[in-house]
Parts: sequence; structure tokens; C-alpha cells
Amino acid sequence: MAHISINQYLQQVLEAIDSRDGSFCAELLSFKHPHVANPRLQLPSPEEKCQQVLEPPYDEMVAAHLRCTYAVSNHDFVEAYKCQTVVVQSFLRAFQAHKEENWALPMMFAVTLDLRIFANNAEQQLQKKGKGKVGDMLEKAAEQLMSCFRVCASDNRAGIDDSKKWGMLFLINQLFKIYFKINKLHLCKPLIRAIDSSNLKDEYSMAQRVTYKYYVGRKAMFDSDFKPAEEYLSFSFQHCHRSCQRNKRLILIYLLPVKMLLGHMPTHQLLRKYDLMQFADVTKAVSEGNLLLLNEALAKHETFFIRCGIFLILEKLKIITYRNLFKKVYLLLKTHQLPLDAFLVALKMMQVEEVDTDEVQCILANLIYMGHIKGYISHQHQKLVVSKQNPFPPLSSVS
Amino acid sequence: MNRNPPNRVRPHASRRGRGGWQKQRREGERNRSERGSDSGSGTAPDSVPRGTCTTMCPARELKEREAQNRLHCFEMLAGTERDRLPKADVSRTVKEYSRPAAGKDSTRPSDLRPPAVLLKTVNFLIDDIAASPSLQQWTEVYGFVFDRLRSVRQDMIIQRVSGPDCVAVLERTVRFHVYASYRLCGAPLRHYDPHINDTHLQESLSWLLECYSHGQHPNQEEFYALNLLYNLGSSFAMQHVLELPERVRSSPSVRLALAISRAYLERNPVRVLRLARQLTFLQGCALHRHLLACRTELLLLYSHGHSSRNCRFPLDRLSLVLSLDEPLTTQLCQAHGVQVNGDWVAFSKTGFAETPSGDFQCRQTHKLLDSKQKDLSVSSIIHGCV
Repeated sequence: MAHISINQYLQQVLEAIDSRDGSFCAELLSFKHPHVANPRLQLPSPEEKCQQVLEPPYDEMVAAHLRCTYAVSNHDFVEAYKCQTVVVQSFLRAFQAHKEENWALPMMFAVTLDLRIFANNAEQQLQKKGKGKVGDMLEKAAEQLMSCFRVCASDNRAGIDDSKKWGMLFLINQLFKIYFKINKLHLCKPLIRAIDSSNLKDEYSMAQRVTYKYYVGRKAMFDSDFKPAEEYLSFSFQHCHRSCQRNKRLILIYLLPVKMLLGHMPTHQLLRKYDLMQFADVTKAVSEGNLLLLNEALAKHETFFIRCGIFLILEKLKIITYRNLFKKVYLLLKTHQLPLDAFLVALKMMQVEEVDTDEVQCILANLIYMGHIKGYISHQHQKLVVSKQNPFPPLSSVS
Repeated sequence: MNRNPPNRVRPHASRRGRGGWQKQRREGERNRSERGSDSGSGTAPDSVPRGTCTTMCPARELKEREAQNRLHCFEMLAGTERDRLPKADVSRTVKEYSRPAAGKDSTRPSDLRPPAVLLKTVNFLIDDIAASPSLQQWTEVYGFVFDRLRSVRQDMIIQRVSGPDCVAVLERTVRFHVYASYRLCGAPLRHYDPHINDTHLQESLSWLLECYSHGQHPNQEEFYALNLLYNLGSSFAMQHVLELPERVRSSPSVRLALAISRAYLERNPVRVLRLARQLTFLQGCALHRHLLACRTELLLLYSHGHSSRNCRFPLDRLSLVLSLDEPLTTQLCQAHGVQVNGDWVAFSKTGFAETPSGDFQCRQTHKLLDSKQKDLSVSSIIHGCV
């Protein structure tokens, strides 16, 4: 297989199409398959050969694919991307002509995956030369993925087994990857709606669902919908294949902050297992109510947290840290009438900048409003009066 | 039942505000490509129209509007205002915005002003219109400047202008809209629509920030700060600033704006209001649209935190943390169902009303910021020479 001739290759493609063998077709067009490294196939102009063997638009598709292997062998990803767009376009023409059948879905998966990857590589290559606008290539790739998506989503006539709708989730996941990369999360919303209203949503392959929930969970997190975010990301983590440690780690980067905001702290063991020790001090600081350590930990791993886009979420842990710090004050003083000054001293000890009793009252009022503290502030007596029963309800019972 | 069949999904439709200018840009590109295909006079598919019009208003439009009696009163030649057809004052007539439409060629070089002329036009709009002491009706001024700035942006989009002139135009545009959002706050809707002002402000601002991403510009810190303040609490704006180099992030204006954003995220209105006092006038204008909500939130939190049978909170203290005088503090409290008895406020969690009764206007709270403007002229505010 590795070093077959161009004629042999084209024969294989022809047979695969004639027998509607989607998976084999997909292999013959995929850059995951070894044939792309075969120098006998890396041709700058294979059009004529392809036309002799294949019907349009397959001839154009395969010719573009071979030109693409040629471009990749020359490390020209801008050219490779251009070829791959032709592959996807001609594929789509063929795909649209397949009425009430969906055998070509694996092919679509292969060619669209490569499209996204080449768009990515091309962009990096252009950036190195200082050319092109960031995100331009990926945006164009997204437009192409969207035209595939429309064909799949609008396939209403075919019966469920032959429906192209089975391709929707794969495309959505590819689109999510692009939208997250170019920071256009608002574009995810209609896609999520399309899946929510689909009766197939629980029938797609587990791998696709895991990816989908990972992105939807991240989106929910950025929209500050922490409860749903926890649900999606937990699903993703629990069902992610055990051999995919890297993916599990990626999921955890987002699941951990959400869990922490809801009051569940990760164990040291878990952090070590997934090489996420950046969270260790944050966890410790929050549990101990140590604002100073929290600020230090955030500053120390700032670059990592910002790059992952979780810095702002982690800053929200401050509110819980205040709660834990103030609970300590309560435990130390062993009374239900706590002087506001005691909290001020605690905050100053934690080096909170320019803090005064007005701010102490504001922080306390917020904690009372959120249900983290049961009690009230008496301004006349400059005291916080807390409930005799359970003045600091467990975090998981609040929010 | 399914009202949104997936095949109707159009995720690429542009979102309100951010990205809107990209849509306009595409319009420009479309116009360009139409021209490229029909004229064919040596225009390569990638060529961009270059303006040749050296006045603020193309001669053709000037004649047309003169004949159709469509001159704005600011554009008329002194002494002819009362004529049946007033004459145009060439030194004061500015190209108006016109919506792109099918069949309309907006790429004629004689109708487009090159970047330098555009900047001159903007300066005219600021110095001779917006800051003019003789033009008293500022809503009228706003309507005129708003429209003419929009046409300046349109010319830039069609010619794909970038670089220092583009940045200078956008910076002034943003400052103008920020200032207007404050000065016209509470004006009747027919004269000033805050939503439309916001749309144009966001468009210009996001375009400007994109210009900044291509290199260093002397005023970028100012606008990163304005973006944070104007879009207070937006995680998009904050994430953007966090990704900037440390040198930019640690500039005083960005640091202050970040501190205010953090206080806001932590839901600490006391700190937000206190830090707000350190802002410059224009920064205050940018933040001001959030302050009434911030004060309301403070009353909400205090109503829960201080809720007890014999709560007595001193009015003068509350007016201090709210940055309002005592009569206004009383008025705001009463609008939200918080009882004020003489010098004391009685907070109660059940009494608090989220939606205010009566009409408490944001305008009433402007006093503090007005005092900051005292010596600043409108032109120095919009030119940014503070």
C-alpha cells in the first residue's frame, strides 16, 4: 500500500466509491493514512490521470487531494490549505447528489478534519512571515464547515438510518474548536440550539459527545452558568476514554475551577495524577481562607491561568475565601456577636489594599446576601451578629 | 413545534455591536468587487479604491444637496439660510452618511476622501461643531457630528484605510461617543438614543483595538482602560486586557480600570464607587452608565446585610459610600423602598424593591462628574489633550 502507483491508487478510489465503502474512501483521502507519504502520489498536476479514471466531481476531489499531498511534502501549508478547500468543495457537490444515503459521512469527517488542521498550519506559517490577519484562515475554514453543516442539518427527507444528520455533531465539534481558538464564542449558540432540538443528541458516538460536552461546558462556564457547566464537564470527564489522559487533563482544567466555586476542592492526589499542581496552592488558599496565598498563587501561575482563560473564574474564588477567612474569625472568637474590627484586622493581615470598615460591611453584606453567612450587621454596635445555628452553612448547600 | 429548524441556523450572522463594523467592511469589499468586475479598467481583483476628493464634501454631493434643499443648517452659507434654496458653505459642508444599496456605486474615487482629508474632517467636526460655543443645541450638534463621523468611517472602510490616520480618527470618534453618552444621558429619545450611540461606540472601539493589535500606539493604554470601564464586568474585555503584555497592563490607567473591574466582579460596590473618584473626566463618562446600577446594588446588599428590627444606619455615612449628597441619597433610598427617618436609614430585606418607583434619573447623579469637567473644553476632551 505504501508505494502503490498512481493508477493503482485511483483504481482503489474508484472501487471504494462504486461499492460505497465510506470508510475506505475516507482512508484514501485522509492525511492520517500512510498513502500521503508515498512520493509516487505526490503530484503537482494529477488532473488528467484523475479524469481518465474518475467521474466528476470525484476526479477534481482526488486531484486536489494529490496536489495537497504534494504541497505538504514541500511544507507549503498555505497551498495545502487551498487544495484542501477544493477537496471539500468537490466532496460537497458529490455529497449533495447522494439522495437519501449517508455512506459518505466518514469521508466528510476525514476531509473536514484535515481542512481545519491545514487552516491552522497555514495560519501559523503566515504569522511567522508576518503576513495575514490572525484568525482569517480559520474563519474561512469555518465557513466551509458551515456549508457542510447546512447540508447535513437540512437532510429531512431520508430515514433515520440514511440521514446525513449523523454528521452534525462531528462538524459542530470542529466548528467549536475554531470558534474557541479565534475567540468567537457567540457563534456557538445556534449550533448548541441545533443539537438541543435534535432527537439524535444522545445517539451520537460517545467520543463525539465527550468533545461536545467539553466545549458546551466551557461555554457555560464563560457565561457564568456554573451549575450546567459542572454537569457538562463532569459528563465529559467521566466518559472520556481512560487512555486519553491528555484530554482528561484538559477537561479538568475547566472542571476544577467550576467545582471549586461550588465548594468541592480537589485532592492533592488528583492534581498530581494529572500534572495540575498549578492548582495546589489555589486549593489550599481557598480552603484555608488565606487571601494572601491565593493572590500569590494566582500571580505565580498567571500565564498558565490566563492562557487557559480561567484566571477570571479563579478570581471569583475570592468570595469563598472571604467566607472561609471570616469563619475562622468566628471560630477564634467563639461568640455570636463579632466586632467588625476583627474582620478588618483579618483582611489587613491578608494585605488587602486600602480596606476599611465600609468595605468590611460591604463584603459581609454580600456574603449574607449570597447565603454564605446567616446573620446581620449592626452598624450602631459595629458588630456582625450571626445565627446560633449553623452561621456558616456548608458551601455545597449554598449557591 | 420546532421553531428553529437547524437548517435555518446562520451562526455567521454578525452579532450586535462587536463585529458589526466587519459587516460594513464586507459591504465595502462587495462594492469593490462589483466595480472590479464591471469596469475592468486595469483594476486587479485585489485593488482598493483610492479617494481623490480633497474637500470634506464631494462636489457632486454638495451640488445635489444644495439643489434638493437637503443642507444641514450648520452647512449653509451665512446670510442665505432664509432663502428658498440656501447656498452651501464649502468650508462647512461635510459628506453625509448614505446607506449602501444595490446598484449604488460608492467607490468612485472623486466621492471618497483620502485619509488625511478624513482626519481634517474629523478635526473640523470637533473644533468647529462639537466644541463651538455658538451652537447651543447640543442634541442638534450630536445628530450632525454622529452622522458625519459615520460617513468618515464608511470612507475608511471602502478604502481599507489603516495606520496612524485611521487610529487618530477612531480615537476621536470613540471619545466623542463616550462624552456624548454622558452629556446627553436622559435626553429625549428622539434626540439621543443610548442604544444606537452604544452600537457605534462599540463598533469604533473594537475596530480601534484591532488596530492596536498590529503595533504600538501612544494612546493605547487610555483606550484599553476606557474599554474596561465602558464595558464594566465584561469578561471578554477583561480577558483581552489580561492577554496584553505586562508593561501595558501595569500602566496606571489600565491598573485602575482593572481594579474597578475586579471590585465589580467581586460584587463590592463600595470599592467600585470609591475607586471611581480617581478617574479622569472622560473615564468617568465611560463608567457612568454603570454607576446607578452599582448604587442600587449597594442598597440591595445593605438591605440584606443590615436587615434587623431596629436597624439604624446613619444617612451621612451612606451618602458618603454612595458618592451622592444626602437629599439624593434619601431620594434613591425611597425609590427602592428603603426607609429614611431623619438622619437614619432603616434597611430591611423584605422592604427592598429592585425596580425603582417614581423616576430617579441618572442625570441627577451627574454633579460629581460635572465638577471634574470644570476647566476642560469639549475639544480638549475629544482630542484627548488632557
